[in-house]
Amino acid sequence: MTLFKEVTAVESLAVKKTARLSLLGFFMAMPPVLVIISFIGAPILLALAFSLGFITGPNRIVALIGQEIYPKTSWWGTLDAFKSVINDSRFPGDLKTTLTVTIVSTTLVIIMALGMAIYQRIIGGRIASILVALSLVPLFVPVVISAFALRTFYDGTGFLKTVFYHIGLNFPTLTMTSNAVVIGVIWTSLPFAILMISSGMQSVPDALIESAQDAGAGFLRIVATIMIPLAFVPIVIATTFTAIGIMGSFTIPYFLGANQPTMLGVEISNFFGPYNRPQHSVVMAFIIFSAAAGIAILYIWANIRSAHQSGRI
Amino acid sequence: MTKTQTKLNLQSNSWLVRILLLGFLAFMALFILGPLIWLAIRAFVTGWTFPNLFPDGFTLRWWKVIAGDESLINAIKNSLIISPIVVIVSAVICLPAAYAFSRYEFWGRKTFIIGIFAANAFPKIGLYASIATLFYTLNLMGTILGVIIIQVLGTIIYMTWIPAAAFSSVSRNLEDAARDAGASKIRVFWDITLRLAMPGILVALVMSFLAAFDEAQGTYLVGVPTLYTMPTKMYALVLNYPVQISAVFSLLLAIPSVILITMARKQIIGGQLADGFQIK
Repeated sequence: MTLFKEVTAVESLAVKKTARLSLLGFFMAMPPVLVIISFIGAPILLALAFSLGFITGPNRIVALIGQEIYPKTSWWGTLDAFKSVINDSRFPGDLKTTLTVTIVSTTLVIIMALGMAIYQRIIGGRIASILVALSLVPLFVPVVISAFALRTFYDGTGFLKTVFYHIGLNFPTLTMTSNAVVIGVIWTSLPFAILMISSGMQSVPDALIESAQDAGAGFLRIVATIMIPLAFVPIVIATTFTAIGIMGSFTIPYFLGANQPTMLGVEISNFFGPYNRPQHSVVMAFIIFSAAAGIAILYIWANIRSAHQSGRI
Repeated sequence: MTKTQTKLNLQSNSWLVRILLLGFLAFMALFILGPLIWLAIRAFVTGWTFPNLFPDGFTLRWWKVIAGDESLINAIKNSLIISPIVVIVSAVICLPAAYAFSRYEFWGRKTFIIGIFAANAFPKIGLYASIATLFYTLNLMGTILGVIIIQVLGTIIYMTWIPAAAFSSVSRNLEDAARDAGASKIRVFWDITLRLAMPGILVALVMSFLAAFDEAQGTYLVGVPTLYTMPTKMYALVLNYPVQISAVFSLLLAIPSVILITMARKQIIGGQLADGFQIK
């Protein structure tokens, strides 16, 4: 009986201890969350209000500096700024370029990453290691340098142009076209996709692959029914993160793309800075946000599932 | 990662597959390394006339031009001052949180984690435009503080999740054993938890430094035209200077990456970085 009492006493002590620790944990975890609330959450809410024509309070200064501001006309605001952006003759081309580049490049990046990761996992060997190591190089190159290097490589006096000239062929000048932007974003997005997907593939147990093989499953069947389903969450994270990154990119399309039409990232920066139309810029930001929203939800869902699986939540 | 023993008997030895593979390898080498090498050569040439296969001549002149250009030197100084500050600020803000996420159960933990993911789920340039709008009011446009805030935002994910994964991988049994042997809490944290989590923390520091040092898009929107760092100076260089100057500047800009990555290469290619990326 005394023993029982002691145990309960110890248990209640333990509960008390975790409760105290919880409070400590809460305060320790607070700082990054506060930074995110103040410098990501708040600006996004204010920017949404600004795009709808709320130009008082914290938005007063930017509304004074900027030109062509549409103030709200009803209690909930106005869509005049949105109309102005959408009716701009440049907008349809920009939006189309942004979406096309995002879809095409994300697809190519994921196919390349899947191919290399599966090859590395199933067959392995030196070539696979070299391929993966090569694909990781861009991770360590600042994006400004990558963009500039690609710009000189594919321009009118670039390497391929030079080599093809000597063979007697004409290689197209890619710089200042959307093709160059696709090449550029693939170049910069590949490492993350490879890291993510190949670490997902490595966690597929050997035993599963072997037993499927013993049961007579072919290569494609093993890939389709074992490897891809088991590495599904990392693949989703890689895909969504790549797509979001491409949609919000600026440097690559700025250096490599055409002046018109261009990706919305470049336009957002142009409208904010040189054109001094901050409201238009913010409106375009929200158009990109809404285009990315579906992907973003998928991304967060996949992350939470992966955190669950690794026991972090 | 354990080396895989599995080898499917797919015509992996067939010469056709071999040739295709080597072809793809050559393509990837050209695709990834070609542009970097093509650029690096430019830093040392007098000029390069199309369509010659070789440059007109070699020179170190462009390096001297950079050393003599005050605006370029200023950009280098700004970068070297701002990035370490960003890393320190980010570490102070995030490392305790990383420990808390890994070790404590507390109210709102799940919401916090979702919040940190969500912060990363906005297309960057749109986010920066929104932040810049607020910065006008806070009088942070064109200031060092504004640039530091923008760059800290980009490091939070590294500085929280890589160390959190590292703390989680330290065995509790080890800590309990040390406690049983009479070590104080602080001593256990200092000598065991922190020491074992150190490789992960170092990778987080390296990645955060590089993220800050290389950050261009947000710094450009918030800092320019009053405050230039090395990456944002590149925007102006590429459009207005001879290509060789930009090439030299690119090499300078790449030095920290090359040094830090070489130092932390093992941990980065091995699990640590991928662990942190799991949640990025």
